Formats: sequence, C-alpha cells, structure tokens
Amino acid sequence: MFLPLRVCVVVFGSLVAGQAAASPVIGKLDLPKELPQREPAATHGFLERVENPLALPRPVPVFPHMVVVLESEGAKATAPGQVIWELVGESFARPVMIAPIGAEVVIKNVSKTSRTLFAVEDPKLVPSGPINPTGPKSFRVADAKVYTITDKDAKHLKGTLVTVASPYVAIVDDNGKFEIDAPEGTYKLRIFYRSEWLEGTTDVVVGAKGKTEVSPKVPSLLPLKKK
Amino acid sequence: MFFSKIWFFLIALAAALALTVALVMPRPAERAHIDNEKQRLVVACTVVDILLGDDARNRVELASAFASKPEIVSALSTASAAASIDESRMKQVRAVGEAVMEEMKGKRKPDFAMLIDTHGRVVARVALDQNDFGDIAAGRPLIDDALAGYLRDDLWAHNGTLYLVTAAPVVKRDAPVSYAGAIVLGHQVTNTLAQRLVKSLDVDLGFYLGKDEVAGSKTLAVEATPMVEAVKAISGGDLSQDCLANKTIPITSGKESYTALVARLPGEVSNRSAYYTVFIKRPDALGFAGTLKVVNQSDLAPGKFPWPLVAGGFLLMLGIGIALMFIESDRPLRKLTAEAVKLAKGETERLSEDAHPGKFGSIARSVNIAIDKLGREAKSAKKDMDQLLGPAPEGSLGTIDLLATALPAVRPGGSAPSMSQPPSEFKFLSSSTQPGVTPATPPPRTPQARPGTPPPMTPTARPPAPPPTPALGTPTPPPPAFAATPTPTPASASDLGLDDDILGGSVPDGSAAVAGDDSFKQVFDQFVAMKKSCGEPTTGLTLAKFSEKLVKNREDLMTKTGCKDVRFTVYVKDGKAALKATPVKED
Repeated sequence: MFLPLRVCVVVFGSLVAGQAAASPVIGKLDLPKELPQREPAATHGFLERVENPLALPRPVPVFPHMVVVLESEGAKATAPGQVIWELVGESFARPVMIAPIGAEVVIKNVSKTSRTLFAVEDPKLVPSGPINPTGPKSFRVADAKVYTITDKDAKHLKGTLVTVASPYVAIVDDNGKFEIDAPEGTYKLRIFYRSEWLEGTTDVVVGAKGKTEVSPKVPSLLPLKKK
Repeated sequence: MFFSKIWFFLIALAAALALTVALVMPRPAERAHIDNEKQRLVVACTVVDILLGDDARNRVELASAFASKPEIVSALSTASAAASIDESRMKQVRAVGEAVMEEMKGKRKPDFAMLIDTHGRVVARVALDQNDFGDIAAGRPLIDDALAGYLRDDLWAHNGTLYLVTAAPVVKRDAPVSYAGAIVLGHQVTNTLAQRLVKSLDVDLGFYLGKDEVAGSKTLAVEATPMVEAVKAISGGDLSQDCLANKTIPITSGKESYTALVARLPGEVSNRSAYYTVFIKRPDALGFAGTLKVVNQSDLAPGKFPWPLVAGGFLLMLGIGIALMFIESDRPLRKLTAEAVKLAKGETERLSEDAHPGKFGSIARSVNIAIDKLGREAKSAKKDMDQLLGPAPEGSLGTIDLLATALPAVRPGGSAPSMSQPPSEFKFLSSSTQPGVTPATPPPRTPQARPGTPPPMTPTARPPAPPPTPALGTPTPPPPAFAATPTPTPASASDLGLDDDILGGSVPDGSAAVAGDDSFKQVFDQFVAMKKSCGEPTTGLTLAKFSEKLVKNREDLMTKTGCKDVRFTVYVKDGKAALKATPVKED
C-alpha cells in the first residue's frame, strides 16, 4: 500500500501549503491489544472460505481504514486545496479518505477499467458519467459528512469519504503513523475508523516551533460503538 | 313404466357420472404430473447445486495445488519484493504459470489464471487478458480473502462469460513462513459443463446473466423474462434454499413449452442477476382430450383393459332395460290388445280395468267409460221414445217398446245398420255358419245387461221365427254386442227399412206391420201368440182394442216425428210380450 500512501501524503502536503507558522504534528496510533476479527466475506461461491493449512491468516488491516483530524474552535471551517483519491483497480488506493469542507476531491482512475461512481448518501455528489481509465472526476463537499462512494456494477468497489470542518487532516500509514502541519494552538485529535468516528479525543498542543509528537490511544475497536 | 323410467334415470345418471369422471379423472393425474415435474425439477436443481459445490471443492483443491508449486511461490515472492512490476517480470511469471497449467492436463485445466503479489498487484495473467498486468486486483472479496490466507471460490462475469473462480494464498513455506501472494484460477461455464451436470438427471440446464444465456445443456432460445422475474421474486439470503423454496414457472421456446425452476448463483455475479435454470419439456397431452390422444392400442389390450367388466356391465344394463320394458310396457300392451280384440269380437262386454297396470288401466277405463256413455245414450233415446209414444198398455196389451230412431231420408244401397260400422276385424257370424241360430236370435250376452241394452231374448221367449225370405238368400249378420237395438229380423235388401237390422225382421214376414188393418191383424196375431208363448193371459185382448191402440200410437208418432208411417214389431221383453213402434220416414 505504499504507492497510495505516497500519493495521499503529497496531497495533504499541498493542503497545508501556504499556511504561516505551521508546525508538524507527528503521531503514531496506539492500538488496543484486541483487534477486530475478519468480517465474513461479503460474497462467496458455493463454499465458505477456509483457512490455508500452511500459515495463519493475516490480521485484519486496521490503519488503512483510519483517518485523523485536529479540531480547534478558532480554526477555519473550510480550506481550499485538493484531495486526490486514486482508484487503482478493484478498489480505492485508500478505503477511507478525509477532506476538509470546501476542498476539491479528485477521484483519479489509474486502473484500466472504466467506473461509474456515485455517493450512496447523495447520488448527485459525484458528477454523473463514467470515469474512464486515467480520467479524473472532481467535486467539492460543503457539509461535514460521511459519504460512501461505490460503483453500481462492482459493489465490492467501495470507499468512504469523510469531510470535516477543519483543514488539519491526515491519513494513517500502514504502521499507524500520521503527520499534520498545524499552526500554534490547542487542538483535539479525533480518529475515524471504517465508517464511524471513534469515541474520545486526544488533546494536542502545537507549539510555535518544532515538532509535536503524540501517541493517541485508539479505543477498543471491538465492537464499534455508535457516537 | 315406473321402473323403466327409474332405470332410464339411473342409466342417464350413470352416463353423466361416467362423463364427469372421464372429464375429471385427468385432472388429478395432471396435478400429480405437475407435482412430479416439480419434484423432478427440485431434485435436479438440488443435485446441480450439490454438483456445483463438489466441483467448487475440486477446484479449490486444484487452486491449492497450483499455489503450492515451488516455482509459483518463488516467482511471486520475488515480485512482491519489487517496487513495480515491469513487462519482463510479467512474462517471466506468466511463463511459470503457463508451465504449471500445462501440467494440469488430464485433470480439469483452468481457462485462466491470475498471479497476484502480496500487495494485490496482478503480476501476470495466463490465457485470459494475458498482456494486462500491474493493476490492483485487491478489493475483490475473493482476492482479499486469498491474500489474507483463505481458500475459497466465487463466480465472476467477464465480458459476458461466466467463470467459476477459485483462489488460494501462495505461502512461502521456508522459514520464516510468509505469504507471497495469491493465485486465482478460472473455469468457464460452458455447454459441456451444463451437459455434464445434468447428464443423469433427464432435465436441461441453463446458466444466465440476467436475460442473457451464458451456457446450457441444450441450445434453446428461451423466453428469459419469466425467469428474471422469478429471480427477482426470490427473497431471502440463503441461496441454498432456492431449489426447495421456489415455484416452478412455465417458459416457452418457440412453440415448445417447458416447466422451469430457477435458482440464484452465488458470489460476485449475484449482483448481476446470475442464476441457473433447470427445465423439462411439458408434455403435449394434458387434460381429457390430451389423455385420449395418447391412448394407444396397448392400453386397450385385453390384458390391461377390463373388457369383461365393461361388456358385462353393458349386457346387464341392456338386459335390465329390456326386461323392464317387457314387464312394464310390452306385456301389458299385449294383454290390453288381446282384451280389446275380445271386446271387438263380443267375447267380453267391457275391458277389465284392474287387470291392466298404469296407463293401460287408464286406457281400459276410458274405453269402458265410452261404452257406458253409449249405453246411457241408447237408454236415454229409448226413454224419449216412451215419452213420445206413451206407456205400453197394461195387462192385456203388455209393454209396448217403441224405439224412435231417426231414419235417413235416403238409404243408398239398401238397408244398413243405424250404428257406426264395427271394427274391420269384427265379423258378423253368418246364419250359414250358425245354422241353429235364427236371424232374430240376439248375440250372446253377459248376464248383467248394460243400461240401455235390450234384454236378452231367450229362445223360449221368442215367437216362432218366421222363415227367411227365399229371395233374400244372404245371411243376416247378428247385431254387434254393444248395440242397444231390438232383435233384428231377416229382410231382403230391397224390403228392409233402416231399423230392420235392429229389429231383425222385415215387414213382409208378418212379425212387423205397417199401417193398415190387415197389418194390425198380423201384428195382433203375433202379439197374442207371443203372449201365449210367454204364458201371459190373453183374456180381454181383442183385435179392435189392439188396432185402436196401434192407430192411436201411429198417429201420435207420425205427428211428433213427421214420419209417413209406423212399423210395429212384436218381441219379448222381461219375459213378456212387447210391441215396438218404429217410425218410417220413407217408403
């Protein structure tokens, strides 16, 4: 997953570019000991899946499904800029993407298959028409909301777009690390996992200079609690 | 006729029941046939499902074997470590894959293979889109599960073709054990597969993607809309229950009709309305007419069809019908006919009413009523004449019985009976055949004289019968048994009056007299002789008084009837001598 991660980091770098006196906030999520089990297969053939006899199944990937945001009362609600979300084949490069309100979300199809995407929560959010290979499709989101983007012809192709009223957002890499450039101030860090905001926040104080390192603890992911 | 009618009713009822049974009988058979059809389809559908499951198991084992090949493990381990996939690597990995697939000859060779590294990138494809590589296949549930370490199967649709796909993780078994990627094998759903699945089921099978047929055991242009609607109507997520829960549907292909049962296909293609259909051809013959069409000669063979029972039933019904007809119709009719003949012959005076059942008794009663009516009319006519002529003189003269019969103005052909002609088979006995019977002898009568019928004239009470006129020569027929007329006397055809047949005599023979003193003398003599023969006293009976009375009666009668003359006849009535006056209108 290093290729999508690289793309997203570049995107978020562009998001915060131009903001004065921004200091990096570097964090690493501290997962709970008990991780969620793999969900039953969305579809299967005539047989249920069975474990291979040679090795234990891989653990469920958690970090690709996480995004974080720093929220502050005095921060701008909207931010210009662009978020690029790559469609890499049978899935999005990131299953969960985050974008500030007002930012341009660009879905870029880097696969060889044409897709016709739509948002389940708002069918008019994504411009109609297919997204051809290498072709982009962009839109802006005005509300803080969670959208499920999918293709009616490939229901397994599913991505979650989270829009927030804060410009200080970041994705999490495969190791649970993230980095956000934020100006001096006091913030609350929130974590989004799969389709829900996790309970609890982490206070983050960003100084005028230097790095700010945080290690927010991720609450139990099993089971997910409604906000 | 009561039992005959009951019998006809029963026959009609039996016929109606037989027709009803004939029309109804095919329906339970049809229902049973439909149930059998559905059962066959359910069994076939379930068997197909089981066979597809077994096939999936075999394919998973095949994929596991494919993934465990050392060259595959080695190739994908190397590719997973690479930052990118280039064409040379793709070709190298593809060559490995082709070599492994080649080894699978004799087993069930896949129609395509995909080799995927741990990042979900397609390193190489074999046989299908084999020049495409580097795209991310992760995201598809099958591949995600395989990359996570699971073996499973799925169904994919690609360019209108249905594939049974299986995936297996590629595991590097050398320490440390790690995942090197995954492989996917695909088997196309073909007509051959469909034929193989229903080889022993005697049904047909088709695989469909929506309205498009993908493959089938039989090449048929089936109307797919009913099947698609049936698939849409299926509720519930447990696809394994489709065969048991679904209803059969009728489908057509050209002019042929089929009964079909649909079941959804699982996996990724379920989003594209993928299903399979088992169907059997509906038989042409259903219902009464259809059943008759398929009856063949063997069905009517003596060994299979109960001909003795049918023939016995037929003969029994026919025999009972004929017997009832004979008992209730033919025999009573014959009996009535015989009695009517007797009546006509005079052997009986009336029909016996109680001896004939039902309507025949009614006929007898009606005939008897007619006979009685005729008798009453005759008696009434006699009474009228008595009133007209006055009572007969008491004592010396005895009873004068006068019959006033209207005489026709003209009697063509001479004398004729004043009554209607007897039946054709009724024949008067001639005097020649009965020499002992004089023309004046009345026909034999029953002891009970009917009203209006002249009393019997016994031979002892009869006056000496006058000899028949030599010129007459013809036998005088006796009067009919039912004729309420006096004893006829023989007469020649030219001399007889209209009532001669009734009186049984003629004027010239002296037993009857027409106006004139001489005639009165003859009548008087006959009357005296008759009284003597009856044992009656004749004291005080003189010709003068007798003639005076006759003259008076003749005048009264001529005045009242307008006749030109009156003829007097002597006869015996109730054992006494009596005199009868008959008006004569013409000479």
